[in-house]
Amino acid sequence: MSQTSPDAAARGATATAHSADTIILDVRNTSKSFGGLRAVDNCSFTVTRGSITGLIGPNGAGKSTAANLITGFIRADAGQIMFDGKDIAHLPPYRVALRGLTRTFQITRELERMTVTENMMAAPHDQLGESFWLGLLGLPAVRKQENEYLQRALQLLRDFDLYDLRDEYAGNLSGGQRRLLELARVVMAQPKLLLLDEPFAGINPVLASRLSDYIEQMCREKGITFLIIEHNLAMVERLCHTVIVMALGRTIAEGTMAELRQNAAVVDAYLGES
Amino acid sequence: MPPLVFYLLTLAVFGAIYGTLALGLNIQWGYTGILDFMYIAFVAVGGYVTSLLMLQPSQPAFGETYVLGLNWPFIPALLVGGLASALLAFIVGILALNRLRSDYFAIVTVSIGLVLYTIAGNDTPIVNGWDGISGIPQPFQDALNLDANSYGFFFLGLCIVILILVYIFSERLYRSPFGRALRSVREDEMVAQGLGKNVFALRLKAFVIGAFIAGIGGALLVIYVDAFNPSAWTTGETFFLWAALLLGGSANNRGAMLGALIVPVLFAEATRFLPTSNLPPQYIDAFRYIAIGVLLILTVRFRPQGILAEKRFRVRKSKLLAPAVATAGGGGVRITDADLADDPGTLDDGSPHAGEEGNTL
Repeated sequence: MSQTSPDAAARGATATAHSADTIILDVRNTSKSFGGLRAVDNCSFTVTRGSITGLIGPNGAGKSTAANLITGFIRADAGQIMFDGKDIAHLPPYRVALRGLTRTFQITRELERMTVTENMMAAPHDQLGESFWLGLLGLPAVRKQENEYLQRALQLLRDFDLYDLRDEYAGNLSGGQRRLLELARVVMAQPKLLLLDEPFAGINPVLASRLSDYIEQMCREKGITFLIIEHNLAMVERLCHTVIVMALGRTIAEGTMAELRQNAAVVDAYLGES
Repeated sequence: MPPLVFYLLTLAVFGAIYGTLALGLNIQWGYTGILDFMYIAFVAVGGYVTSLLMLQPSQPAFGETYVLGLNWPFIPALLVGGLASALLAFIVGILALNRLRSDYFAIVTVSIGLVLYTIAGNDTPIVNGWDGISGIPQPFQDALNLDANSYGFFFLGLCIVILILVYIFSERLYRSPFGRALRSVREDEMVAQGLGKNVFALRLKAFVIGAFIAGIGGALLVIYVDAFNPSAWTTGETFFLWAALLLGGSANNRGAMLGALIVPVLFAEATRFLPTSNLPPQYIDAFRYIAIGVLLILTVRFRPQGILAEKRFRVRKSKLLAPAVATAGGGGVRITDADLADDPGTLDDGSPHAGEEGNTL
């Protein structure tokens, strides 16, 4: 595998001055069992603000459960999940999203019988018109906001090369286009932290490379922190400076890919297995 | 009035009332994806409450017992009837919408509908049991004093006015960001949650709004037929309305109204050519419900989007971005015209103006 890209290294360097507010996400001793299985077992890790952090581990390591715990789709049995200084472990998913922590799903999920533009327009959180009365009355303030969001949506669609598909039903898009739309949609929601669950699974290398460019661009230009769960280690190495390794529900190591490759526990749990 | 005119007038009144009812169900199912199999119970509650408010006090000596009987005028009685249905929906929704997935929720609604039906029938003092209520005052007839024929046309006008109001309301709702949030819940609950939508609150609101419309339509229905008992709102009636909505087109308000015009006619006419002379009369009803079932299956199998499919929103030309300055780099997977050639836009209703209805509320 190649060396960590200079871009990622630079980002890591600026983020090394650790202090409380450079940590955007702090998972503390979190556990979750399903029946007798401890899917996430006293797991702790942190994500640095402004970073692109990877979360890797063999199948069954508890990564997806961790993602569901962080985003509120599953409630933790124990532990804290501090996001932006506040415990979000007991919030329902929509409240977590409103705090600025948004996610994508392992299998892309679209609002299929809504157009690409509508998928984008559904994303912003503070829409006045989503209140029943304001929406019904369609006051000038609502229309103005709607217009602004439409312009932002179209701009983002252009950035993601989906502009020509704006009036297409999301359900008619190809797999790759769905990935792009899903990313564009969560970016539209203007999150502080974006959790991507296997964004590179099942897409061709060309698109994967483009997707990773978008992720770096969104991190740089919009200041979004990324936490990426991924099996494609080449992509992880290319994108992420810090990588967290999970195995059997726990974090077993953290560092750059280069460091991790020297780590016996990691090699044992994961990298050595192939 | 010639029989044909009378027949058409009756059909038109039922068409307008069922149209209103289908619009309410459309907000629940078409917009939000809530499987509500007790919809007819909301119709009944609105009908009962409105009628009971308008009726004179009950006279048990004549074998009629019911609650209320307050001799209210039509408009406040109608609104309170709608609110009563909305309140019932709120209670059912609070109890069940949060905990149960859509199909389980559907089972709960069927059972609640049956419970209400049984109570209304057997607990006679509430709504006069299986015998039902009748003799409901005709709205505005005090002031108008029309003869029976003219009043028929007046009542049709009243129903159409309410249908139009409900239609305008539904359309505005559909185009609003609120309606878009409802549809995001319909499409994928998890995505909606991930985007910060309070899915429970949105579904509850849609359920309550739909029930309010059901109550309004129910009031008109009961007043028009002027005799209402529990046999008029069996679960079968719910599927009658579902058939209207699905055939006409879910999530398309004009489709819902069209279905509400077609299905009752089909329902009444489907059995016309059966050799009735040697069949027990209850068979006719049974055949009608079989016909509705077949219609539902055929619709879902061959035209799941209904006669008029959901309208596709298009971004208005005036809102488009200025042409891009040639974007740098790119490469990778470019979207070409070939990708767009197979445009499935033919699902639209063909209206030449459909394309102009963009995200512009």
